[in-house]
Amino acid sequence: MLEIKNLNKVYPNGLHALKNVSFNVPQGEFLVVIGLSGSGKSTMLRCVNRLHDVSGGEILFNGVDTTKLKGKALREMRANIGMIFQHFNLIPRKTVLQNVLSGNLSRTGIFKSILGMYTKEDKERAMKYIEIVGLKGKEKNRADALSGGQQQRVAIARALMQNPKILLADEPVASLDPATSHSVMQYLKKVNEELGVTVICNLHFLSLVRQYAHRVVALKGGVLIYEGKPSEINEQWFKTIYGEDAVEVTIN
Amino acid sequence: MSGQNYKAPEHIAITYTKSFVLDVLTWAYIALVSYKIIWQKIVLKERYPDFFWSQPLYSFYIGLALAFILIFTNFSLGKGLFGIIKTKDDEVATKKPFAYIGYLVILLTFITSYYVSQISLKEFFSPQGLEGAQRIFTALFNPNWAIFEEGLFAAVETIYMAFIATAVAIPVAFVLGFFAARNLMNGNKVTFTIYNLLRACFNISRSIEPLVWAIIFSVWVGIGPFAGMLALFIHSVASLTKQYSEQIESIDDGPIEAITATGAHPIQIVWYGVVPQIVLPYLSYTIYRWDIYVRMATIIGLVGGGGIGNLLMQYQGQARWNEVGMLVIIIAAIVWAMDWASSRIREAIK
Repeated sequence: MLEIKNLNKVYPNGLHALKNVSFNVPQGEFLVVIGLSGSGKSTMLRCVNRLHDVSGGEILFNGVDTTKLKGKALREMRANIGMIFQHFNLIPRKTVLQNVLSGNLSRTGIFKSILGMYTKEDKERAMKYIEIVGLKGKEKNRADALSGGQQQRVAIARALMQNPKILLADEPVASLDPATSHSVMQYLKKVNEELGVTVICNLHFLSLVRQYAHRVVALKGGVLIYEGKPSEINEQWFKTIYGEDAVEVTIN
Repeated sequence: MSGQNYKAPEHIAITYTKSFVLDVLTWAYIALVSYKIIWQKIVLKERYPDFFWSQPLYSFYIGLALAFILIFTNFSLGKGLFGIIKTKDDEVATKKPFAYIGYLVILLTFITSYYVSQISLKEFFSPQGLEGAQRIFTALFNPNWAIFEEGLFAAVETIYMAFIATAVAIPVAFVLGFFAARNLMNGNKVTFTIYNLLRACFNISRSIEPLVWAIIFSVWVGIGPFAGMLALFIHSVASLTKQYSEQIESIDDGPIEAITATGAHPIQIVWYGVVPQIVLPYLSYTIYRWDIYVRMATIIGLVGGGGIGNLLMQYQGQARWNEVGMLVIIIAAIVWAMDWASSRIREAIK
């Protein structure tokens, strides 16, 4: 479904963030990307939906190279790929419902969206996704007044509103406490298993990786150094990925 | 990284050049001020010392010579300020040699200011002066209530003039604010050029005081509140745009990124990712500006912008201090009320 071939990314300041990264993501997979901070995980995700432009290589999404898309074609590609973020990135001062509805902007006319005119079907769909992420009854609350875990669930509902084929999750639990982290991961798992959405997720904690990932790729200094099953990451691999001095921290 | 190694020498050369230029200017200033003020005014006690263009020129040569020698030592203000002189952990930058040059500059500037401002305690406490002060204060504290109505109407004119100037400026500044925001405009060369042009225009128009605009418009459309309104309008557009664009520049990029990721159109990105973050700060700042413009409108009235300032000017010209006293009280009341109201409103919408 997603084929990444020799992906390179050089930032304007000369930082070579991704070096010849290649891997495939089959439909329905829950893929987790691990690596130290600054290893290029976030850059990699942002190249997939072109929040960052790519410096070299190809990204084939359902057979189409997305790295050269522009304008309407680019927006249509983005509409098929949902994304959630470490800091949730909800629209401040808006309600949960308005935030979830904003996931449908690509299919709403500019004029209608400025006036906030959403169709009845859109609203019903939004309510359905709010229910799926367990926030029924909170749709009229201000999203920025919710707890971190709830905000992340609103973000998931917003991404689902796009009807995505792929969901990108950029360290979705890095600013949450351990208990909430599991809850959010459970919802991602549910999205993956019940709605059949392919998930690509950046994570820090190996314990979460072992629990949720079908497959793992590891980046180090912008280079893909590991690709395999989470259970195959032994002590040796751990030290290769995270450095000699690293000690594994678990959350339960 | 190889890129940084390549860049490093060029960088140091630029820093050294900047330090040298700063040193030349500093030493030239010290030389000129020492000669004109310390030598001519204080030592020779000349009342009106002659000025020749050769004096700053020679100061510049002295500055050049001193800077050329001292750039190699620690007595270089430029090297200190641009961080070439490193401070060790157990040292304090304020006790380094270059810091003393800074202190010398401040001291000389203080002495110069004292002489340039013609500060004279003798005149402040002269019997003649005190008598005049007593006369004007007596009059000011005995306001002429007969012109209260006249003053009030003029004040109302001033407040409304400030309001319409701000109100008309809001939509203009709202739109221009997006084009003057660096984070929205630095995407490609065309938009970045527009950004730079806009910035330049606003910096020029802001650097011309509303007072000057009022003089221009009082000739253009005649003396009266309309001239004042136009002057305030020009200033509002420039200052609101600058403030609005800075507000846009300081917003959280997260929501913009998230809305972009949904596949939204750029206009939708601005409307959903930017606007919700800026509405309240805009409102708050605009009310604050209106408050300032009511005060400014008073001053603008002095040069023909209508309203209470115009009235104040008329009575002051005729030395009718009791009437002036009345107007001063009205102005103070308005300023206080506006200040209070605007801070209350801004508090409420935070």
